[in-house]
Amino acid sequence: MAASAPARVRPRMLSGTLGLVAKIALLAIVDALAVFAILLLAGQGSWIVVAVVALVTVVVNVVYLLPGRFLPAKYLTPGLVLLGVFQVFVVLFSCYIAFTNYGFGHNSSKDDAISQLVEQNTSRVEDSPAYRVTVVEGAGGLGLLATSPDGDVSVGGPEQPLQELDEGQYDDEGGVAVAADGWTTLTTNEIVQRQSEIADLQVPFSDDLDEGFLVTADARNGYVFVSNLSYDEEADTLTNTDTGVVYVDGGDGAFVSPDGEELRPGWQVVVGLENFAYPFTSQSFGEALLSVTLWTFAFAALSVGLSFVLGLALAVTLNDPRLRGRNVYRVLAILPYAFPSFLSALVWLGLLNTEFGFVNQVLLGGASVPWLSDPIIAKISVLVVNVWLGFPYMFLVCTGALQSIPEEVTEAATVDGARGWAIFRLIKLPLLLVSIAPLLISSFAFNFNNFNIIYMLTRGGPRMGGVEQNVGHTDLLITLVYKVAFGGEGADYGLASALAIIIFVIVAVISAISFRQTRALEDLN
Amino acid sequence: MSTTPPIPVGATAQPPAAPSDAERIARLRQPRMRPGRWIAEIGWRHVVGLAVVVFATFPLIYVLSASLNPGGTLTGSNALFREISIANYVDLLSDPRRPYARWFLNTMVVGVVTSVGTVFLGALAAYAFSRMRFTGRRIGLLSLLLVQMFPQLLAVVAIYLLMQGVGEVFPLLGLDSLAGLILVYLGGALGVNTYLMYGFFNTVPASIDEAAKIDGAGHARIFFTIILRLVAPILAVIGLLSFVGTTSEFVISSALLTSPENLTLAIGLFRYVSEETSTNYPVFAAGAVLAAIPVVALFLYLQRYIVAGLTAGSVK
Amino acid sequence: MRPITSGSRRLLQLAAIGATGMMLVACSGGGGGDDDAGASGGEGGGTITVWMDQNRADALADVIAAFEEESGTTVEVVIKEFGDIAGDFVTQAPSGEGPDVVLAPHDALGNLVSNGVVSPIELGDAAGDFQEIAIEAMSYEGSVYGVPVSIENLALVRNTALAPEAPATWDDLVSTGQAAVASGAAQYPLLVGLDPNNADPYHLYPLQASFGGPLFALNEDGTYDGSDLQIGNEGNLEFASALQEWGTSGVLNLSISQDIAKEQFAAGASPYTITGPWSLEQFDEAGIEYAVDPIPSAGSLPATPLVGVQGFMLSSYSENSIVATQFITDYIASEDAQTAIYEAGDRAPALTAAFEAMPADSPTTAFGEIGSDAVPMPNVPEMAAIWDQWGATEAQIIGGQGDPTQLWTDMSTAIQSTIDGS
Repeated sequence: MAASAPARVRPRMLSGTLGLVAKIALLAIVDALAVFAILLLAGQGSWIVVAVVALVTVVVNVVYLLPGRFLPAKYLTPGLVLLGVFQVFVVLFSCYIAFTNYGFGHNSSKDDAISQLVEQNTSRVEDSPAYRVTVVEGAGGLGLLATSPDGDVSVGGPEQPLQELDEGQYDDEGGVAVAADGWTTLTTNEIVQRQSEIADLQVPFSDDLDEGFLVTADARNGYVFVSNLSYDEEADTLTNTDTGVVYVDGGDGAFVSPDGEELRPGWQVVVGLENFAYPFTSQSFGEALLSVTLWTFAFAALSVGLSFVLGLALAVTLNDPRLRGRNVYRVLAILPYAFPSFLSALVWLGLLNTEFGFVNQVLLGGASVPWLSDPIIAKISVLVVNVWLGFPYMFLVCTGALQSIPEEVTEAATVDGARGWAIFRLIKLPLLLVSIAPLLISSFAFNFNNFNIIYMLTRGGPRMGGVEQNVGHTDLLITLVYKVAFGGEGADYGLASALAIIIFVIVAVISAISFRQTRALEDLN
Repeated sequence: MSTTPPIPVGATAQPPAAPSDAERIARLRQPRMRPGRWIAEIGWRHVVGLAVVVFATFPLIYVLSASLNPGGTLTGSNALFREISIANYVDLLSDPRRPYARWFLNTMVVGVVTSVGTVFLGALAAYAFSRMRFTGRRIGLLSLLLVQMFPQLLAVVAIYLLMQGVGEVFPLLGLDSLAGLILVYLGGALGVNTYLMYGFFNTVPASIDEAAKIDGAGHARIFFTIILRLVAPILAVIGLLSFVGTTSEFVISSALLTSPENLTLAIGLFRYVSEETSTNYPVFAAGAVLAAIPVVALFLYLQRYIVAGLTAGSVK
Repeated sequence: MRPITSGSRRLLQLAAIGATGMMLVACSGGGGGDDDAGASGGEGGGTITVWMDQNRADALADVIAAFEEESGTTVEVVIKEFGDIAGDFVTQAPSGEGPDVVLAPHDALGNLVSNGVVSPIELGDAAGDFQEIAIEAMSYEGSVYGVPVSIENLALVRNTALAPEAPATWDDLVSTGQAAVASGAAQYPLLVGLDPNNADPYHLYPLQASFGGPLFALNEDGTYDGSDLQIGNEGNLEFASALQEWGTSGVLNLSISQDIAKEQFAAGASPYTITGPWSLEQFDEAGIEYAVDPIPSAGSLPATPLVGVQGFMLSSYSENSIVATQFITDYIASEDAQTAIYEAGDRAPALTAAFEAMPADSPTTAFGEIGSDAVPMPNVPEMAAIWDQWGATEAQIIGGQGDPTQLWTDMSTAIQSTIDGS
């Protein structure tokens, strides 16, 4: 966006030779790496990636080499490129996932799913012997040289069913045939090199293919398997050879039988708006989602509001030069903010234990308040902990804002006859709010998505009754989505991404409106 | 720009430091107050201050006490400082399966590199937004703010797949590499940071640039040698906030980092209390105390800048 | 609707390359690219990647070294949290970058098979060398997936100073426990680690089993039929009422977490605790005298715990499946490997030869023997939906938040609808 814009300011280029050398050197490194990456990717045949890398490299060179042009772009490019990859791209990719059924049971391609289904439904022929096998190669490709428990030796390949060999046609070593006439035995190294080929090798047991195939998984032991699920490429169906049931591609990323039985695994498909519609189609989840949304707003607003009030009150209290030791108070009061927040949450978890926690045991003399397990008290608890974490920040900011209000303002008001509280309410507070409002908005946005505190303290619990999904009374939208995406009930990345996008839109719209309201960006342009 | 800007605290003025000599003398000269008035005007402030300090610090004191309690447990830690020993710290640092010192180092490396990178990238962008006029500037700044509001932790699957792709070409930057993790963090370098910096950059009078330009300095020289010095407070703030944020980050790092010697403190310490079969609260507490020291120290060292940087930036 | 191709991966790569290249404009090119990209195995012997936890990796170091030497294959061990392995494996295997072999708990099998990430392994006659329950646990829909290494289950651990005799019945246990509390010798009649919001269905299951409450109907071969939910049946309702009674009388206490239960038992605060072999190390360190007994039945049937089995499984995406299979079937299944894991982890080995070699008087052996008569934890994927709701309901019942029959019936309905919905 900025790169194509004509620069109105055109100061001179980097003047020192040192700067020039540094610039050329950096560009050279970038170009070298880009060329390396392009060669590597071209080798893999990833042409779209190659094109994009080449394009970006050219743009970078143009931006930094053409004198006087694209000046803002020189400053914006490094950050924008990283932003583009790790934020924008990731957001777009999540949007894409939101339209798919990616998740539990649908985590790969259709081809993968078919081969896994066939493999899973392969079973050893009952009471069939265990063979010792040697991997050999003949005119028609790889084959297996098999020794049965009785000492009978046979050999075959994918196109030639096992044929018994007579003594003299093979060499044996300790009762196991290791070489046969007309076949070359693979060395250990060759076996390692051709593992996939060997693992896929199926030697028909006889001319009747229903009698199964000899297969080896470790190049030493072979068993006769039959598959009771066969794939018909023409019709794109799977047929269970035991029951005769035919499974067809149901369109939802899985094979289904006529009576609705789905085979697992399925595969990923684009499902359109299904994920976005889910909250509205599943009534219990929709209701839970609504209550979580309300609580998320309440949590974010109350966290910001209470932290602000406490921080401001403290700032006003300590903002008196006659107060001795106020620096000590300040330092100690900001400690919660300096302490890593994920650790704080875990510490509070211990403090709030009903039976043994410090709060109940020591502060309340052996009370048994269910701090984190009663729906309402748990909400209060997470708010208190969050205020504990957040008020020092507000305190710092308010202190700074108070100090930046010129003394003259207060003095003038005093001359006009205003007294302490009135000065604060009518003069200082409005001035302070003007400067602090943008921080309050970004703090709201942060708390709206305050994952750490909820996840570490309650994991969203206590659980709401009557909802299929694991939704709890203290869940925020973000912890709810996280549980949907990665929770124990089977990951559903599609639904999670759709919900993430909904959250994103909510937060972005609220923030954009609030910023507009506070005219935080008014002075732009 | 608004017509009567409040005083730009940090722009050219020094950040408020310890009370100056003049202030101290003024304080000494004050006549002693009568107790009643002292309570009404000063005393209650001590009461409020003490109450808040107790609220703020008791959980931290509790952790410190638990970490010093030998063989202590969650339940046994309620009697504060009943026993004092460094046994937990010794355990913490001597477990070869959980290389705490290494985690500490990793965290510092990731934290420092990320915060320096964030400050640098953010300052570059803020300079462009503040000093140059170009099409899409307003919408660009707003978009930066909004894009950043996408909860990155929900995109962890996409990030994982992305880093796997990177790793195929540049193995040093792929999965399980601190460099790769830093890259992901730097993807979030712009956004709110740029916005905060932008506000602060605006408080530096444009006349300074103009004067330098007349002296023949190019834009790069103005940026590196003049502007960066004048905006030091906001750089300190952004650096600090980014450091704090990075050291606490949990979800993305635990998805990307796997081998024990590559973990950061957030993941490693969480495992001390999350592994069902081997939780160890006191050792966790010791680890938490040590982990907090650099952050707290940095905070206290830089706190005077924070006040200046945050508010001056937002005022604009 | 259109199937997703490998295009999306390309797209990711594309972004990735852009990032790395450009990045270096900004930050002075520190690092640079490692030019010898691509894994290089030792002397054409190939490489297999194995995911396991630190504890087992340490235990298996010698076995792995022997395998590497004999096969010429390099084994790359990636250490992960045991609990993360199965989930990460499902996500990462389809990319082709996942491991060849993973160590995972058997109850993840349903999930792994439904996502198509594991391949069955035919053990042949060797299947008979393992404890029956271990093979049963590692089976899913008629196929065995992987080689089991260790067996873990709950039992009653008794502080012999406070309770010299093993309790014959549940009432015995409760009265001995309460007497110990009354006399001041102990603080708790019994310690069971629970969570205030999610109780702990696993730790409470033996008691549930003693009322005859299965989760699912069993198939003819002894495996669970995930489509026939039995959690709402008569015996389970009796258990629900009993839960509330125990909650009221203080036999069960939701504030006692796993940690606290272990800690308090180690401190001699209770004559009994229901726990697994993973707690033994802490009890030994604390120096208390204890014995391991079967959990007495609270109803009319034996109080059988759910058995968890850990095993090494083969990735269906492995491109080194021959060598990986050799590693699993020849080395992991060896007595050396099984014994090493047993010695490092206090869990009974799955291989019968190693199981029988355990010293007869060790507590781990006692755990193992109790487990041999028990049933494996269900490994059907439906379990994922059940644990959460099951635990939350137990917590509500123990906490006295409503009528146990009603709560339990509601839970059964909710679980059924989750299963139908998925």
